[in-house]
Amino acid sequence: MTTTIVLQQAINGIVLGSLYVLVALGLTLIYGVLVQINFAHADFVTLGAFAAYFFMHLVGLGYIPSIAVALIVGAAMGWLINASIFTPLRRKNNELLPLIATIGVSVMMQNLMLAWFGPIPYAFETEFSRHVIRFAGIFVSWQNVIIIVVSALTIALLYVFMKFTFLGKALRAVSQDRETAGLMGINPNFLIMLTFVIASALAGMGGAMLAPVLVLTPFAGTSVIVKAFAIVIIGGFGNVEGTILAGLIVGLIESYTTQFLNPGLIDIVVFALLLLMLAIRPTGLISERREENV
Amino acid sequence: MSATADGAAGEPLLRTQELQKNFGGVKAVSEISFDVPMGAIFAVIGPNGAGKSTLINLISGVYRPDAGSLSFDGVDLSTMPAHLRVRFGIARTFQKIRLFRQLTALDNVIAGFHVHHKIPAWQYLVHGAAFTADRRRCRDQAMQLLEFVGMSGRAHVPAGSLSYGEQRMLELARALATKPRLLLIDEPAAGLNAAEVDGLLDRIRSLRHGGTTVILVEHNMDLVMNVADRIMVMEYGRRLFEGTPAEVQKNPAVIAAYLGGELL
Amino acid sequence: MSETVFAQQWLGKATSSRARFLGYLTAVAVIVTLPLVFNDTYWRTNLTVCAINVLLAIGLDFILGYAGQLNLGHSAFYGLGAYVSTLLIVKLAVPFWLAFVAGVAFAGLAGTFLSLFAVRLRGHYLAIASLGFAVIVHQILLNWISLTQGPLGIYGIAPPPALVVDGTVIADFRNLTAFFYLVAGFALLSFLLLSQLVRSPVGETLTAIREDEVSAASLGINAAAWKVFAFGVGSAIAGAAGCFYASFVGTLVPDAFFITEAFNILAMVIVGGMGTLIGPVFGAVLLTILPEVLRGLGDLRLVVYGAALTFVVLFIPGGMAQAANAVGERLWRRRSA
Ligand SMILES: Nc1ncnc2c1ncn2[C@@H]1O[C@H](COP(=O)(O)OP(=O)(O)OP(=O)(O)O)[C@@H](O)[C@H]1O
Ligand SMILES: [Mg+2]
Repeated sequence: MTTTIVLQQAINGIVLGSLYVLVALGLTLIYGVLVQINFAHADFVTLGAFAAYFFMHLVGLGYIPSIAVALIVGAAMGWLINASIFTPLRRKNNELLPLIATIGVSVMMQNLMLAWFGPIPYAFETEFSRHVIRFAGIFVSWQNVIIIVVSALTIALLYVFMKFTFLGKALRAVSQDRETAGLMGINPNFLIMLTFVIASALAGMGGAMLAPVLVLTPFAGTSVIVKAFAIVIIGGFGNVEGTILAGLIVGLIESYTTQFLNPGLIDIVVFALLLLMLAIRPTGLISERREENV
Repeated sequence: MSATADGAAGEPLLRTQELQKNFGGVKAVSEISFDVPMGAIFAVIGPNGAGKSTLINLISGVYRPDAGSLSFDGVDLSTMPAHLRVRFGIARTFQKIRLFRQLTALDNVIAGFHVHHKIPAWQYLVHGAAFTADRRRCRDQAMQLLEFVGMSGRAHVPAGSLSYGEQRMLELARALATKPRLLLIDEPAAGLNAAEVDGLLDRIRSLRHGGTTVILVEHNMDLVMNVADRIMVMEYGRRLFEGTPAEVQKNPAVIAAYLGGELL
Repeated sequence: MSETVFAQQWLGKATSSRARFLGYLTAVAVIVTLPLVFNDTYWRTNLTVCAINVLLAIGLDFILGYAGQLNLGHSAFYGLGAYVSTLLIVKLAVPFWLAFVAGVAFAGLAGTFLSLFAVRLRGHYLAIASLGFAVIVHQILLNWISLTQGPLGIYGIAPPPALVVDGTVIADFRNLTAFFYLVAGFALLSFLLLSQLVRSPVGETLTAIREDEVSAASLGINAAAWKVFAFGVGSAIAGAAGCFYASFVGTLVPDAFFITEAFNILAMVIVGGMGTLIGPVFGAVLLTILPEVLRGLGDLRLVVYGAALTFVVLFIPGGMAQAANAVGERLWRRRSA
């Protein structure tokens, strides 16, 4: 009995964790390239969720195409925020200003969505929610199978893109050393724009898949982003492998805390882990320590 | 050159023994031992990446050595944090300029008086006579230091808006505000024009007259040969040679490795 | 961001002590007359909220604008001050002012605790750590139901006891005007003390740390210790604001100290002009009043609020202080031309 529960929660945790990974990877990509935080990333998640919801209900082409729509909406938002906030602020070379500007954008987006969609949670049911696979006492909905498959595929694709394509290599070069990217003959501004588009597309599609799991309100993104921040730090800012590992850990913590302790404790456990991490390894799970070159 | 430089008996002001610092696989500084006598001008030269700045960082406490020791005036400093070393009388400038860019030139120098304020704690909240006197004293001394580096006319300009040469001089003035016994200067002549280098030379000399010991890292050989009492040549983190300017210029290993045809 | 440099100079150092004395005199006069001008309950309530927000903003500005520590969790110290003092009063019948001192001390200690991390963290790491701290505090307030009653909240918190001298009541804090004078007076005193501090060598020391820690250390500055100091002071002031808030509103719910409150305080500091003390005072007043004025817009009022914040960062990053400075400089130039 207990092993079934442990296994069941492991699956729930991985489902949740892989969604957190999608959201956190976007933050990490942006941080790796720009050393900046986009606070409105949270609201791209929410917007992605609403886009998928309305596309499904108004157009009626089913869940999978609506994930693609959310992805496109996210990508568009990424382009927009880069062009309107990060590009103008870049020459100021200040770590605080873009963060605050995007907090402003976040407040704006949340309340615009509130005005349009209202405060009452939306029930996001898909054609896959009801179909459940039973296997040795464990229940897995088709919905969750889709989540795991799509996010695993996306993460794998991203990984292949970063490791093996020329553009991906250029992206990694910028994140390691901004000067060498220029030497590779690619406009760094284009790379930054591309990073925002990819990162925000991940947030949008993450939103479409989180929507059935979450309570979908205009503020849904906030609770996700706060965990995504924790994941990004636990994994080491800018570190892709660390982020994936940390995301899955946080997903598991969440499902086990819900099962064995109290759902109210989730954030406390996650952030206690974060503070502990910062106390012993401020550079994250996998990365090595570096001394500032003076 | 000077009597104190070579023949001084007893403890040197600074003594390093087998200092070592690695970055990953790079041995930036390895097995460096040398003595700097009180009152000397000790120059460190060597090709790019030789480990000169790393040595300055070890002496000033920005990095901890991986091995070896470092004593100043008989006190072991090897593990002492940078900010405490200032109280013992070690000050420095940076090769990559690190001024407080938003503060004015004057305020940069005033910040250098940090360890020398004489204000009773309560007067930080209720400014009294001692407070006002201290403020005036710091301001006057800061103005004098700016004058010393030839910048009294630029006191109220934000450091970030100064020219490159001015920024280098301001770093020097700021370091001097801590009233150092040992001053570490890392490539002060980089980016200066000939006239500015001459001014720098005069200033280093007059510092020595004032009793300050100087460790100078520099690529400008004219400056080094003119002002240094002793020179240490570094290559790949190691000491290649140490001696007087005349000895350095004659040493075949040094000529081969670094000076090349330049001085022959 | 050299725009702020000039703002700091014009508004900070350049003012003579006579000008400052006149400034404080004006401030006292304004505080005294405000509740007389706005004599309905609605606006008098807002006045006190303004004063509480001023406390929050100058405390955060000390940490963020002067010491340069990216604190995104100021709401935590605010909440801790409120809950600690209130619980002492409600559960243990501790006298108000003693509970006030305890609330301030507890918030200050919490800030000190958090800054022990800050000592090793830079920039965004600290931002997320402080955000995480605020999330933890909010969740604890929400989930420790036996102590805080969770989302149900604590009701019927009494105002501070009346000030009585020789049997005559001098100030009864059930009266909105008296309460406003109390908080505004405290805010003015805090401002005065902080302003003395930042015009002392402590000001240069903190700014030096903000600008470049390695450089600061090379001048003998113990950056770690000073960051702890700045955090301790700033969070203690937030604690005081929390104590006042609880006894003013009379009701405490954890959601009043959600992280969005930290963003609100941050917005006040930025819109006012961080790194000047006077800027965030005006920022706090503006951003308290603005949503009230925009109430007619319904849900859209926060949209305007967010847009205003973004606009300020993009176009006047030095905030109102920078704008005032630009105007002042132009006037000065015209006069001397
Ligand atoms: N913080 C650091 N992290 C990694 N490597 C470092 C660091 N600091 C120095 N190094 C490496 O150590 C070696 C010595 O560097 P250092 O800056 O001391 O040389 P230098 O003699 O001052 O050279 P230059 O004349 O160019 O200033 C170099 O290979 C450099 O890349
Ligand atoms: Mg160097």
